[in-house]
Amino acid sequence: MKNSSDERRPAAPGPAAQAGAASHVDPLLERECDVFVRYLSGTAPSDYVRERYLAAHEAGVVEPRGGATGFERWIVRRASSATWLVRALDAHQRVFANGSLLRRKLVLLLALLEVRAPHAEALDTPTGSSRAAMLFVLAWLGVRFALTVLLTTLVLAPFQLAFKWEARA
Amino acid sequence: MKHVVVVGSGASGVHFAQSALDNGWRVTLVDVGRTAPAAELPQASFAQLKREHPDPAGYFLGQRFEGALFPGGKGEYYGFPPHKGYIFAPLDGLALRSRGFDPLLSFARGGLAEAWTGGSFPFTPDELRDFPFEPERLVRYYGVIAGRIGVSGAVDDLARFLPGHEHLAPGLRLDAHSEVLLGAYERAKPRLNRELRCFVGRSRSAVRADEREERHGCTYLGRCLWSCPREALYTPSITLRALLRREGFTYIPDHVVTRVEADDANRVKRVHARHVANGAALELDAPRVAFAAGTLASSKLLLDSLLAHGGAAPTLTGLMDNRQVLVPFVNLALLRKRVELDSYQYHQLALGLERDDPRHYVHGLVTTLKSALIHPIVQSVPLDLASALWIFRNAHAALGLVNVNFHDERRESCSLSLETARDESSTLLVRYEPAAQEPERIRSTLRDVKRALRQLGCFAPPGMTHVRPMGASVHYAGVLPMQREGGDLTTTPHGESRALGGLYFVDGSTFPFLPAKNLTFTLMANAARIADEAFGR
Repeated sequence: MKNSSDERRPAAPGPAAQAGAASHVDPLLERECDVFVRYLSGTAPSDYVRERYLAAHEAGVVEPRGGATGFERWIVRRASSATWLVRALDAHQRVFANGSLLRRKLVLLLALLEVRAPHAEALDTPTGSSRAAMLFVLAWLGVRFALTVLLTTLVLAPFQLAFKWEARA
Repeated sequence: MKHVVVVGSGASGVHFAQSALDNGWRVTLVDVGRTAPAAELPQASFAQLKREHPDPAGYFLGQRFEGALFPGGKGEYYGFPPHKGYIFAPLDGLALRSRGFDPLLSFARGGLAEAWTGGSFPFTPDELRDFPFEPERLVRYYGVIAGRIGVSGAVDDLARFLPGHEHLAPGLRLDAHSEVLLGAYERAKPRLNRELRCFVGRSRSAVRADEREERHGCTYLGRCLWSCPREALYTPSITLRALLRREGFTYIPDHVVTRVEADDANRVKRVHARHVANGAALELDAPRVAFAAGTLASSKLLLDSLLAHGGAAPTLTGLMDNRQVLVPFVNLALLRKRVELDSYQYHQLALGLERDDPRHYVHGLVTTLKSALIHPIVQSVPLDLASALWIFRNAHAALGLVNVNFHDERRESCSLSLETARDESSTLLVRYEPAAQEPERIRSTLRDVKRALRQLGCFAPPGMTHVRPMGASVHYAGVLPMQREGGDLTTTPHGESRALGGLYFVDGSTFPFLPAKNLTFTLMANAARIADEAFGR
């Protein structure tokens, strides 16, 4: 599914596309782009956002300094399978590894979404709820975040240990 | 015709040059002079850029995504526009090391003020107490500079800290958030003034509302941070462009000055420079030279010159800079409101905290968040990104930032010195140690700022206050203080070096005190004063 506004206006080819990079598109990257954008905005990415996301990976700006660990790459692979998993793993990484590969990919996509209409306008539009409803949602977001972090910590701990053990070995 | 060579085209250099030309001097300005890229879609507003620019990610984030701020960085709340990267791009061959200080230099046409936010705050007589001349001698030049660059604001409750001057134009139209804050201040004023000695009013900005000469008035495109395409916000390159059309003015770009040469009587006689691309040497005979390259670069030039002249480079002490602390806040009255993107983007209000010693005045620039990029802020919310985004959508119009500025004083422990290598190249060593009482000063001030914000109906989310590293404000000053009498490492009240006669420092190097204010307006005024007093007809 493409964004309707971008259907009317073809995306400008960025440097990566101009250099023919689009012919070597990594389907895993495309998939994670799709899932992550749905997680952030509830819509599919436009061609432009997808192309720039791939270009950023080509440019090597997404990897954390010193490179991503095996565990971080595994987290990204798991996250790219469903939006609810992105939320859960994002919450975990926000607390325990804020500068990790998943967080960097999500922030990059947020940056791409905010500079291109119509995503940009949606990100600036209030949800229209009443003040009471807003306070309720705020409280719910906080509680859900805390519970998610707790649960993911328990679930991920054995995997994290396994990756550490493997790295040492 | 008398001749002066000016080094650097920043705020001090261009206004010194303009006054010297007005006084009948021939001026040669030597500069690296990196130029700004042409403005893209100059009629488009911030929101229109996102709709109409063919490559908005390239514009806002850069082709190499250098404007994207990733988590785990230094904690600044805004990304720097990639097309402004030329302002801070380093120069090959100019080596610098620092401790306790994050130095920034510029080799752009117009210098560091090409990236300023236009804050034009005159110093009070108390703040000028250490300057070795009657304050009136400088104060009248605030009017001269305001007439040249266009300064808008108001004489209101902040006038006790920001004196009025000639050519102060009425302020721009306030954005909705600033209006709400000013209304809240009017209601809470008696308590704020009495209990916290806190005053709020219109900021002073070098931005024009009216059309004049080549500059257009502000039309609220919301692109201030992204370089005002209408040039309503003043930058020194505008003055440089005007100087290029004047008789008696010669501009030599693409050259970096390496040192000045002095005669046996310790008076300057020649300027040495090299081409930045091919290294070709350039020598200019000059009985008078004005350094306006900024405190760090001007100091390095002096030290390199002394090294070549006498074989030793001393240590310059007394480096100053304003400590800045960023206090983000949420205005509860504006939650769930739509953000107003088409508005002036920089600080429209200021907050002043009076202190027992008037020189310890604390100045806060109040910026309501409108058209900065949001991803650096959203990622700092301690939640998953989607939840943080939901909060941001409902809070965008309510967000603001107080940039709290603290004064600084000259101390021996803050210094500039040279380290030389075998190949005779030199490295500038910058050392900075904050005053012992700084942590307590910051703590007590932030307590007052947060209380004041509460009185204005706002709250500062815990954990988001950010103490910027020293050097980040780029208000460097103080290593060659103006004094009535002093040693070789001081300057006369006209900024003339006591080590090398005929060499003038017309930038911040000579300020003996740094109040909690952006010093650029005073730099320009002081440069014009020196030009009139020491380079008269």
